[in-house]
Amino acid sequence: MHCHNEAKTPPETGDIPKILLIGNPNVGKSVIFSKLTGHEVIASNFPGTTVTYSSGKIKLQGKQALLTDVPGIYSLEAASKAEEVATNLLSTGADALICVLDATNLERNLNFALQLKKYRIPIVFALNMMDVAEQKGIKIDALVLQNILGYPVIPTVAVRNIGLSELLKKTFAGIGQVSSIEPQQGFSSEDRWKEVGRITSMVQKLEHRHSTFWERLGDSMIMPIPGIFVAILVVLISLGIIAGGGRVLRAAILLPLINEIYAPFVSGIVSSLVSEGILRNILIGDYGLLIKGIEWPFALILPYVLLFYIVLSFLEDTGYLPRLGVLGDGIMRRLGVQGSDLIPLMLGYGCAIPAILGTRTATTYKQRLIVSVLISLAVPCISQTGAFIALLGDRSVLVLLLVYFIAICVIFFGGIVLKRAIPGQSSTILIEVPNLLMPNPSAIFKKIWIRVKHFLIEAGIPMLIGIAVASLVAETGLLINFSRLLEPVVVNWLGLPPEASLSLILGVIRRELAVLPLLEMNLSTMQLLVGSVVSLFYIPCLAVLGVLIKEFGVKVAAAISVFTIIFALFFAGLINQIGNFVMFLL
Amino acid sequence: MSLYKIKKATNCIIESVPTQKILEALGIRKGVNVRVLVRQPLGGPVVVRVGQRDIAISSEYAKQITVKEVV
Repeated sequence: MHCHNEAKTPPETGDIPKILLIGNPNVGKSVIFSKLTGHEVIASNFPGTTVTYSSGKIKLQGKQALLTDVPGIYSLEAASKAEEVATNLLSTGADALICVLDATNLERNLNFALQLKKYRIPIVFALNMMDVAEQKGIKIDALVLQNILGYPVIPTVAVRNIGLSELLKKTFAGIGQVSSIEPQQGFSSEDRWKEVGRITSMVQKLEHRHSTFWERLGDSMIMPIPGIFVAILVVLISLGIIAGGGRVLRAAILLPLINEIYAPFVSGIVSSLVSEGILRNILIGDYGLLIKGIEWPFALILPYVLLFYIVLSFLEDTGYLPRLGVLGDGIMRRLGVQGSDLIPLMLGYGCAIPAILGTRTATTYKQRLIVSVLISLAVPCISQTGAFIALLGDRSVLVLLLVYFIAICVIFFGGIVLKRAIPGQSSTILIEVPNLLMPNPSAIFKKIWIRVKHFLIEAGIPMLIGIAVASLVAETGLLINFSRLLEPVVVNWLGLPPEASLSLILGVIRRELAVLPLLEMNLSTMQLLVGSVVSLFYIPCLAVLGVLIKEFGVKVAAAISVFTIIFALFFAGLINQIGNFVMFLL
Repeated sequence: MSLYKIKKATNCIIESVPTQKILEALGIRKGVNVRVLVRQPLGGPVVVRVGQRDIAISSEYAKQITVKEVV
C-alpha cells in the first residue's frame, strides 16, 4: 500500500483536519473564507487586506475542518512579515490547501501554485474571478489545467457564490490525497517560469477585445493628468457624502428624535421614579448617562461612522485606493514612507486600529513606525470627526477647516521629521495595481454591516463608560478638584475654562470624548480652535494604546502616548498664546 | 537603457533585473515584454504593463532594470 495516493495520517493538532487558504495577494481568499465559514472578515480589492490569519470551521455532511485564511504572498521565501506567517503555517503541517488563483493573471499565480507542490500537501485550486477574466477576453480550460497540475481545479466567482459548494466538496474529498504527479526536483526559478509559460500556453486563450470602460477608467486614474483631478473629485465627493449626508441624518432626523421625543420621555420617567439628587443627575443631568449616552454615540457619531464606511468600503472594493497610492507616491516618499502606505493612513480616518494593523504590509519597521505615529498623532478617527462637526459645524466652519488643515500640515512636517529621526531604511514602492471593478453590492453591504456592528460594540461600550465617568466626576465634585490641579495648564496656558480638564481626562478613553464635553461649555471661537487642536493631537484612545503595545511593545507605545500628550498641549497652547498676542496688538 | 528613462507608451524587453524576489514574483523578469504606461512625477514610480497586469515600480528599482526598446 505504498502508492502515492495513500492517505496520510493528519498531524496531531486537535481532532479535526486543518486546511489552509493560500495564494497571491488580492485574489479573493478572504471572500472565499467568509463565504465558506460564515465568519466575518474584511475583504477588499487591494493587496494586503489580510495581515494576520483567522480561522473558522467549515462543515460538509457531518464532517468538519478548520479553515485558516492565510495572508496573501507572492512567494514562499519569507521576505515580508506576511510571508513569514504563511510559511510558518505551511511548515507546521496542514491536511489540505485551498490555493486561490486569479484567473485574470494566470501566469504569476501558476508560478506560486507550482512552488506549493513541493510541500506534498493535498491541494484544491480555486480558479477565481472567472467573470472578470471573461470580460477581459481570457479563456482558461480548467479541465486541462487540472490534469496538468494533478489536483482539482474549480472555476469560481467567489463574490457571487459560484463554484463554492463544489470547492467545499472537493476540499473534503481531497484531505489526505496527495497527487501522484510528483513535483519536479531541483527546479530553478527559471525552469519554473518556463514550465509556467508552457502550461499557460496550453490552457489559456486570449481573445483580443476592446478595453472595457472600467479598464480605460482604471488606466486614466494612474495618469498624472487626469488622475490628479479624479483624485480631487473622489475626495470632494467622499467628503460631501460624509459631511453633508451626516448633517442631514444628524440635524434633520436623529437629533430631533432624541431631543424632542426620547429625552423628554426618559427625563419624565426618571424624574418620577428617582428623587432629586446625585443619582438623578447621573442618569439625566448635564452628563446624564441615559441622555448623553444615547445622544452622543447614536446622534452625533453614528451617522458619520455609517457614511464613512459606506464610502470607504466602496472605494476599497473598486480597487481605486492603490491607484491613489501610485499617484501619491512622489509626495509620500518625502515623508519617509511610500505610496502604498497611503492606504493605512486613509483607513486611520475611520479607526486607528485597523490602520495600525494594516501597516504590517509595510516591509520595514521604520515605515510601520512612521505611519503609526502619524495616525496616533494627527489622523482623527471618524468618531472624532463626528464630534468635531458637532462642535464646530454650526459655530464656525472656518475653524473646522482650519483644524483639518493643521492636521494635514502636521502629518506632512511630522513625516519629514520622523524620516530623519527614526534610524533605518524605508523600502520603495513595488505594487501591483488591481483590476478596477464595480463592487459587488452584497459584499459591500456585508462589509459596512461588519464595521458598523464593530463600532457599536467596540466604541459604544467605552463611550458609555466615558460618559459614566464624566457624570460621576461632575456630580460628585471631583471635577472641581481635578480642574484646580490642572488649572495652570488648562486655564493659564490653553486659555480654556477650568472644567475643560474633563476633556483631558475623558480623551484618554476615547478620542471623541476629548471633544464632546466642550459642546456644553459655551466657548469663544478661539477657545473652540484651541480645544479642538488639543483633542486632535491628544493621546489616541485606550484601544489604540493596546494595539500600539501589541505591535511595537510597551516602550514605544508609552513614548508615543507621552509625546502626543505633550505635543497636543504645547501646540494648542502656542496657538492660544500667539492668538492672544495678535489680538492684543490689534 | 534603464527602464526609468523609457518614454511612456513604449514597448520594451527586459534585459536585466536586480535580484529582488518580489520583482520576480510580480513577473518582472529577464526576457519579458513590458509596456511603459507612465512615469509618475516627483520621483514617483514607473507603471508598466506586464501581461494582463499593471505594476508600479519605484524609481530606485526602475533605474536598476535595463531594457531594450522594441520597435
